[in-house]
Amino acid sequence: MWRIWLLFDPRRALIGLFTFLFVLALVIHFILLSTNRFNWLDGPRSAAPAVTTAAPQ
Amino acid sequence: MLKVMEIPAARAARSWPTGLFGGEVMSLSGLSEQEAKEFHKIFMTSFIIFTVIAIVAHILVWQWRPWLPGPNGYTGMIDTLHGAVQYLVS
Repeated sequence: MWRIWLLFDPRRALIGLFTFLFVLALVIHFILLSTNRFNWLDGPRSAAPAVTTAAPQ
Repeated sequence: MLKVMEIPAARAARSWPTGLFGGEVMSLSGLSEQEAKEFHKIFMTSFIIFTVIAIVAHILVWQWRPWLPGPNGYTGMIDTLHGAVQYLVS
């Protein structure tokens, strides 16, 4: 398995790996933030905004 | 029995490009075997630590909110390991 580093330059491999993992993590986090169930900052969006906007008579 | 690498032409075809250092065989990345082994040790240690942290993070998130809804949606879902095993066995 270590022979892989005879084929691939470790510096380029590490830069590529870190870049890939960072972009992947960023994409996954933003996808989760955009969902109702997995948004850990705001929680679920309120399902019925019409009720809150009803003006009292 | 004759091994493939005992045939000079085959050995020449399969060997790495020879470097400038007195025809010493160089690897494609320029690393020696010792350097490759050394780097591999560090790489694998880091990889295992990263993987363990990722597994722990996934367990914690699954406890917070499992992400695979059952056939009846998230309300009727399998959210425990015991439930998952029962579902797979049945």
